[in-house]
Amino acid sequence: MSPEYAELHCLSAFSFQRGASTARELFARAAQLGYRALAITDECTLAGIVRAWEAAQAEAVALIVGSEMAVEQGPRCVLLAENLAGYQALCGLITAARRRAPKGEYRLLREDFSGVEGLLALWLPGPDIDLAHGHWLKGVFGERLWLAVELHRGPDDAHCLARWEWAAQALGVRCVASADAHMHARGRRALQDTLTAIRHHTTVAEAGQRLFANGERHLRPREQLAQLYPPALLAETLAIAARCQFDLSQLQYHYPRELVPEGHTPASWLRTLTDEGAERRWRKGRGKPCEQLDKELAIITDKGYEAYFLTVHDIVRFARERNILCQGRGSAANSAVCFALGITAIDPSNSGLLFERFISRERNEPPDIDVDFEHERREEVIQYVFQRYGRQRAALTAVASSYRSAGAVRDVAKALGMGPDAVNALAGCVSRHGDELPTPERLREAGFDPANPALRRVLVLAGELQGFPRHLSQHPGGFVISEHPLHTLVPVENAAMAERTVIQWDKDDLDKVGLLKVDVLALGMLSCLRRCFDLLRQWRGRAWGLVNIPSDCPATYAMLGRADTVGVFQIESRAQMAMLPRLKPKEFYDLVIQVAIVRPGPIQGDMVHPYLRRRNGDEEPDYPSDELKAVLKRTLGVPLFQEQVMQLAIVAAGYTPGEADQLRRSMAAWKRHGGLEPHQAKLREGMLRNHYSEAFAARIFEQIKGFGSYGFPESHAASFALLCYASAWLKCHEPAIFATALINSWPMGFYSPDQILQDARRHGIQTHPVDVRYSTWDCSLEATDAEQPAIRMGLRLIRGFSQGAAEAIEQARRAGPFTDVADLAQRAHLDARAREQLADAGALKGLAGHRFRARWEVASVQPQLPLFAGVQAPAEAPVALPRPSVGEDLHADYATLGTTLGPHPLSLLRRRLSKWRCRSSRELPLIEHGRPVNVCGLVTGRQRPGTASGVTFVTLEDEFGMVNVVVWLDLAERQRQALVGSRLMQVQGRLERNGEVIHVVARNLLDMSGLLDGLAVRSRDFR
Amino acid sequence: MLWACILLPQLALDGVLRGRADPARPLVLLGGPTQRRVLKAANASARALGLRPGLPLSTAQALALGFDSAEYDLAQVAQAERLLAAWAYGFSAQVSLHYPRALLLEVGSSLGLFGPWPHFQATLHQGLAAMGFSRRITLAPNPVAARVLANLHDGLAVTDPAALEAVLCELPIACAGLAREHAASCQRMGLRRLGQLLGLPRQAVARRFPAELLQHLDRLRGLAPMALEFYQPPDRFEARIELNYDVESTQALLFPLRRLVADLAAYVLARDGGVQRFVVQLEHALGPPTEVPVGLLGAERDPGRLFELARGRLEPVQVARPVRSLRLLAEQLPAFVPGRRELFDARPQQLQPWEQLRERLRARLGDDAVLGLGYAADHRPEQAWRAAPGPPAQAGGTRPGWLLPQVQPFAVDAGALQAGPERVESGWWDGGDVRRDYYRVQLPDGRLAWVYRALGEPEGLWLQGWFG
Repeated sequence: MSPEYAELHCLSAFSFQRGASTARELFARAAQLGYRALAITDECTLAGIVRAWEAAQAEAVALIVGSEMAVEQGPRCVLLAENLAGYQALCGLITAARRRAPKGEYRLLREDFSGVEGLLALWLPGPDIDLAHGHWLKGVFGERLWLAVELHRGPDDAHCLARWEWAAQALGVRCVASADAHMHARGRRALQDTLTAIRHHTTVAEAGQRLFANGERHLRPREQLAQLYPPALLAETLAIAARCQFDLSQLQYHYPRELVPEGHTPASWLRTLTDEGAERRWRKGRGKPCEQLDKELAIITDKGYEAYFLTVHDIVRFARERNILCQGRGSAANSAVCFALGITAIDPSNSGLLFERFISRERNEPPDIDVDFEHERREEVIQYVFQRYGRQRAALTAVASSYRSAGAVRDVAKALGMGPDAVNALAGCVSRHGDELPTPERLREAGFDPANPALRRVLVLAGELQGFPRHLSQHPGGFVISEHPLHTLVPVENAAMAERTVIQWDKDDLDKVGLLKVDVLALGMLSCLRRCFDLLRQWRGRAWGLVNIPSDCPATYAMLGRADTVGVFQIESRAQMAMLPRLKPKEFYDLVIQVAIVRPGPIQGDMVHPYLRRRNGDEEPDYPSDELKAVLKRTLGVPLFQEQVMQLAIVAAGYTPGEADQLRRSMAAWKRHGGLEPHQAKLREGMLRNHYSEAFAARIFEQIKGFGSYGFPESHAASFALLCYASAWLKCHEPAIFATALINSWPMGFYSPDQILQDARRHGIQTHPVDVRYSTWDCSLEATDAEQPAIRMGLRLIRGFSQGAAEAIEQARRAGPFTDVADLAQRAHLDARAREQLADAGALKGLAGHRFRARWEVASVQPQLPLFAGVQAPAEAPVALPRPSVGEDLHADYATLGTTLGPHPLSLLRRRLSKWRCRSSRELPLIEHGRPVNVCGLVTGRQRPGTASGVTFVTLEDEFGMVNVVVWLDLAERQRQALVGSRLMQVQGRLERNGEVIHVVARNLLDMSGLLDGLAVRSRDFR
Repeated sequence: MLWACILLPQLALDGVLRGRADPARPLVLLGGPTQRRVLKAANASARALGLRPGLPLSTAQALALGFDSAEYDLAQVAQAERLLAAWAYGFSAQVSLHYPRALLLEVGSSLGLFGPWPHFQATLHQGLAAMGFSRRITLAPNPVAARVLANLHDGLAVTDPAALEAVLCELPIACAGLAREHAASCQRMGLRRLGQLLGLPRQAVARRFPAELLQHLDRLRGLAPMALEFYQPPDRFEARIELNYDVESTQALLFPLRRLVADLAAYVLARDGGVQRFVVQLEHALGPPTEVPVGLLGAERDPGRLFELARGRLEPVQVARPVRSLRLLAEQLPAFVPGRRELFDARPQQLQPWEQLRERLRARLGDDAVLGLGYAADHRPEQAWRAAPGPPAQAGGTRPGWLLPQVQPFAVDAGALQAGPERVESGWWDGGDVRRDYYRVQLPDGRLAWVYRALGEPEGLWLQGWFG
């Protein structure tokens, strides 16, 4: 009969590069071995404790919350939380130790322990016992101290045991058995050695004594423990485990209360704010959906989420006061309440979106509102939150970055002694973000022998390591805010960025424990839109905003139907442009679909074509039942959104809302961990029970699988669609303003300033060159005879030019126009570099003539010394300098500005190209489908979407527009060099037309870059 | 004075290629940090694959498959420069390494000895070709002009100043040896040829460019002198060849060995001396190199005979571990300037006897007979104790000082278990995983044995060592 046992000292994978098993594995093993309890005691962290809690519930083995730590100049010990006070003390200790050390390290001091209660301590004396440490611990913990006896079949266990027992007796404490487990089973020994080598930045062969001598640090069977330990020591573990009664469910989280003024409850204050906002939103109460607001507020009160809405409202209010544009999205964001509070600009009463679709009484999930802010100004919002609630009560959420296959392969290969180039080559065999290990073919191609035992070891270990947490980093904008100091709930540590603090839990952990988070995210398009609105006010004298842009504008939808969408939010990519003429959006909800449909999820789930056929009337929508019709009607019977899949499971297969949420989580993770199989059976059974056909059930399951992690929620698509419509409307009606704002917000979006300017010119907008006499840092507008103003290119387009210099120029110019280069240099205090950049960019043409002259002139500017102030520089005899040729100007334009207002390079080459029978993009619409065709252009994009098997999409640009080229895999393999290396490419192929969408399917690629003579064209490679 | 410039346009690449049996295989040299490896050089066949210097390695791998790569090794480049300077010293007493990857030789004084320039130039070409270096050679009245002309020309010999001026005027600005930023400035002003710059008023140029530019132009045209530091040959020789794969037989080492010995011979020939003793070191990925000393009765400098001697000494060597690179070291070179050496010789003489003693012992008893005891940090006993050169190291506490070379079956009749089991599970990474439980057993005769039982094989104990 094996003795009962509880393990009190065990590390999980969250002791980074130490623990070689996940909590799930540890608890499964503990259950199998019949342990009474398992303590997870990661080193000075609770980052893995929520996962451990979940695993403990799943396996029905008691979890003891604890942490192993080393006191600076003092003992190592394990602390275990006895009760809630002990847990809070532990969080406080970890927070104190982490906050005073750089990210990833900790410094625990003796004084941190004063007044600590509710914690039990196990002293880890090690082989060289320092009794002074024991005495100090005894002083702190008294009867709550034990001496941990950890036997690992070392050189002389009996001797060690005797010495520890002697030390315990000397201190008057009891001994207890523990394992110092680093893994769940002996089989992880190799991975544990590898992690040790990674931690020490060395190889396993060099790690020597830093490796453990054997694999005993795992959860050992109780009969083995009985052979090693005296029975009393094993029995003691149970006594300790029985005392540790803390459970994470005891945590009490309270939302901050200060947002509610005296005399109000959160509910009454939310009601007041909502009513005030509703007055503003619905002028004189016209169209105000009173019933809807009442219903929503009732649900919010019922669930106790008032404070959450008030918090988001407060952040949004701050942004509005600072004129920072923002827009909420997420399950709760599309509510009438959020519209009234100004969190979203979508009016739910006329968008066809219903709040209950996103939040309901039955579904027990917390509300989720992400708010996007202008990307250049989000930091102001983040600092506001820290100031408003204080660093004690507000912190960012963590992200537990985990090993993907490339990283795992890289670290393991390095630890196993592969050279740097071989490591790179091997890591190159796996996709950077993928989760699959390289295939033997791919390995052979990269020059590896897949049968080589050393390589096999690397791959096996990398496979084990995959998915392990690697380090904690900060979530880009997920805030947790609490009424009480956060470190009473969860340890807080420093982020890599100064002035930021991060809690040790990620968003899944927060969900599980019931903490609410607010996402403060950054979005480039919002910066662009705010600039548009500013320019509109200056230029047209009208105060436009997201809310009052005219909806349902036919001209805008017509433009979208032509796929004329360079710069339009979310639908400007090539795939989106190909979809637009087929989908021809006519109303707002079409945009919601358009945003969501060109995604890997619907594409892999084969939902796009059925939807298009039904939309174009080629096929009748069919609904297997009336209940499902309600769910799928708005997408013509094809599930396109994540919410629909969940709803479908509820309606058709009888899932509870909670189970549907489980399904959503499994959908996101099945590629990595599997776990969809139980749902397959359950969905099928449920559907058959509800009289759906076997074929229907199978099809739905395939669609869910295809959806995988890429399903797009309708609640987010709706918010994106709003920004999409706003940007489209601006592009349609104010193209000059839109293009200017886009360039001034760059880098963002899909297109370079060059492409945006070319697009503007094709729409008849005049563009003026950079000129030091008129240009400001940003691109600006200049009046013309036409209705649309002209765009004056800004100094920001000059590569490497500093904003400070540009502002100095603007300021000096206000005092009067510049007379010559010397005057400019002197009054704007320009250094030699800035002067040269202006000359090379052609910005001095008005002062000094062509580039060469300008460069000659700026070189003669010398710093004015006070002594010689007012003394004119000696007059110079004029020097004969050549004029730049058209090609030289073009070259210089691209090199300095990345764009040109002169002739397009292809127009200079056009005569030569027509000798090779190359057609321009303008001629392509006149050519019949299936005809052979030659095209040539600058390569501006190479894209290899993960969804389309092996196809590379190449975008060529010529003087009239873009040509879309499709390169199939076999050609890409054969002509790798031309495909990857060309800046100017000629494509011989065949024209394919599908409605208004035209591609050239390549048959042969020719690298024509030689013709460009060093023209600097940047190609953006998208993956 | 007449100055020849030998420009070595792909010195780093040649340094690697000359150590390889098949220089036609595509080869690139890599540099930069591990995260961002960049091609630093590519040979002709690699260029034919579309590989260019400056390309990130990841792009190169996307472009082409099946090319070799080696490290761009600055130390190796410097070594090759020193080798070539020593070789050139055989042709002129004034050799300068002032410019990187180029040799400057004053040849006006040597023309009498090595014949008229075309003949002399051919000799230089031949010597460099034999050593495996590509090169461009020019001749000019001053060293700066010789170096600048080599940017564009090969074989051009300009001897009088007027002709030089005409050649210089036609030179593209980018090739004129100006600092990169000055050349760029000139081009941005529309100045394409050096003549255009020289045609501008000196005052106007002086106002726009730092003084170095005019100084360089003056030196280039021979209007101002150039002070050069001249090469002084050292009195030792050291050269190293990195192998591109792990070599496990001495036969495969013969080709690089021949290169090294030929370099040595060229070197001592240029010094007009010989070599009496040198060491060939076989360097391994791990652990100390294997040394193969080669001693001669008298000074020797014929490459063929030196190679035969070295080969005779190398071939019997058992290559225990794969060889990564080969180094040749010659400390004993007959004095080049005997008087000087006696005056300034500061080599520590006391090192000699130990080396000599060890060599003598090895010569008498065989190389394997003289070894120290080394201790390596490894949990496996047989890996932790190794015979190694050097003084004996301290061993860990609870393990015996005497390990048997081979474990033996251990049969117990009687004996007292003193300690154990100590479990050792380690070494999976090199295929030599052990899983054992060790025991300390006192035999009736008082001896303390260290024995183990292999886990998973319940039968049988093995004796690994004895405690002292």
